[in-house]
Amino acid sequence: MARETFERQLQMILDHVLVLGSMVEQAVLDSLDALKRRDQAAARRIYDADLQINEKRYSIESGCITLIATQQPMARDVRFLAAILEIITELERIGDYAKGICKITQIISEEAIDPVLIYELQQMATLGLDMLRRALDAFVAGDATIARAIPMEDSKVDKLYNQVYHKLMEQMTVDISTIDRANHIMWAAHNLERMSDRVTNICERIIYVATGEMKELDTT
Amino acid sequence: MANKPVFTNMETFMTEEKQRAPLTLQLDMASKPGESQPDRGYKIEFHDFSFYYGKFKALGKINMQIPRNQITAIIGPSGCGKSTLLRSINRMNDLVPNVRMEGQIILNGENIIGTSVDVVDVRRRVGMVFQRPNPFPKSIYDNVAYGPRLYGISHRLGLDEIVYSALRQTALWDEVKDKLHQSAMALSGGQQQRLCIARALAVEPEVILMDEPASALDPVATLKIEELMQTLKETYTIIIVTHNMQQAARVSDFTAFMMIDNPQTRTGVMVEYGLTTRIFTNPKNKQTEDYVTGRFG
Repeated sequence: MARETFERQLQMILDHVLVLGSMVEQAVLDSLDALKRRDQAAARRIYDADLQINEKRYSIESGCITLIATQQPMARDVRFLAAILEIITELERIGDYAKGICKITQIISEEAIDPVLIYELQQMATLGLDMLRRALDAFVAGDATIARAIPMEDSKVDKLYNQVYHKLMEQMTVDISTIDRANHIMWAAHNLERMSDRVTNICERIIYVATGEMKELDTT
Repeated sequence: MANKPVFTNMETFMTEEKQRAPLTLQLDMASKPGESQPDRGYKIEFHDFSFYYGKFKALGKINMQIPRNQITAIIGPSGCGKSTLLRSINRMNDLVPNVRMEGQIILNGENIIGTSVDVVDVRRRVGMVFQRPNPFPKSIYDNVAYGPRLYGISHRLGLDEIVYSALRQTALWDEVKDKLHQSAMALSGGQQQRLCIARALAVEPEVILMDEPASALDPVATLKIEELMQTLKETYTIIIVTHNMQQAARVSDFTAFMMIDNPQTRTGVMVEYGLTTRIFTNPKNKQTEDYVTGRFG
């Protein structure tokens, strides 16, 4: 008794989750690029495009609820749909971090930013997005081993965040006129640091789907 | 500190869980690994129980413990021996010619398999409700009073008390109290089924077996039966065979999944047995997973 229609619907939901993942990834990359170039127009565009991310998230959520109501999923299927409901929330929040960075770009306008800081923020984003991509790959493969390994890399992002934090604190101590701008940059760094925490949450859900275990992953 | 479980031991788990909603407690407890049966004890135990119709081995070495005052659901594809297993518990299968049993079924510490067992007494202690409501063509009152009369209760007041109590227990009293002496055949299907449950309760059983008790009923009548089961389990141990997996998931505390061992021998075997919430969210066995997710069967 194959459930071909149900299988197709599950696959379709998964495809949409991957699309949402790509949208979020692009938003983070574009937001940093806009910050680097202090491109107000681009920042505004990315900020507005967050609406599409939210809509995609609600559309997936609605699809999951419909499947739960109409197909009565059990075992791995119900874990899969329950996990997706969590994962899309995490992805949407990452999208909000990109939106936050665009807001910062708009606030700090033409003010100069130390290129080294920009580089470090980009590195944080690269690491976080790499974690996200591999997490979504692990989700597709149902691979709990990979999902357990990914959060261990969170410490690299934390290290970069601490670097940025101390650098900005130093700047603020030396020159109090930089406090406003430094705070905004710290806000951007904090958003990127939280992004990798969200990936850890996603990994917890991947493990749940694969094994049925609901555990908090410790990344320290 | 890698992969630290949220709860390190059951005591911590319980302490923290008590502060949460009861539903969360119930669900999370069910998902704990190494599940153990409640310490209220077992009502029924199968030990290497096998069943034969002539040369055909219908059940092979069933081992399971059914806890008292819980609802245990037996699920599995057609022909896997669910009903045979159920009917073994009150020796209903004895009515089929050339049957043979091996192993033990322990009811309250006593083996009910063997020629020296008082089968009539077993059937009093283990009541049964069937797929289709089967009231006798008698009045509502006489349907419920039938069993007690058979067991020698003839005093009117005593009978009244038994009949009224059974009808109240099955939530039928308010619906039929003014027409107790009208024919039971005039009741709706759902009411007839609840009357059959009342009839089973009237002889004060310890266990109630239900073989697809709601499959012939509409959704409202089904809901009433399911709600009734939750009330009845406070007094009785209930075992239900159902093809409706959602019903098993909704009503039962424990679920047993059975299937045939192979297409040639077609012997029914127990594949997996455990807490219902675990069986339907995280079964250990691949065959159980495939069955509950609707990928075979």
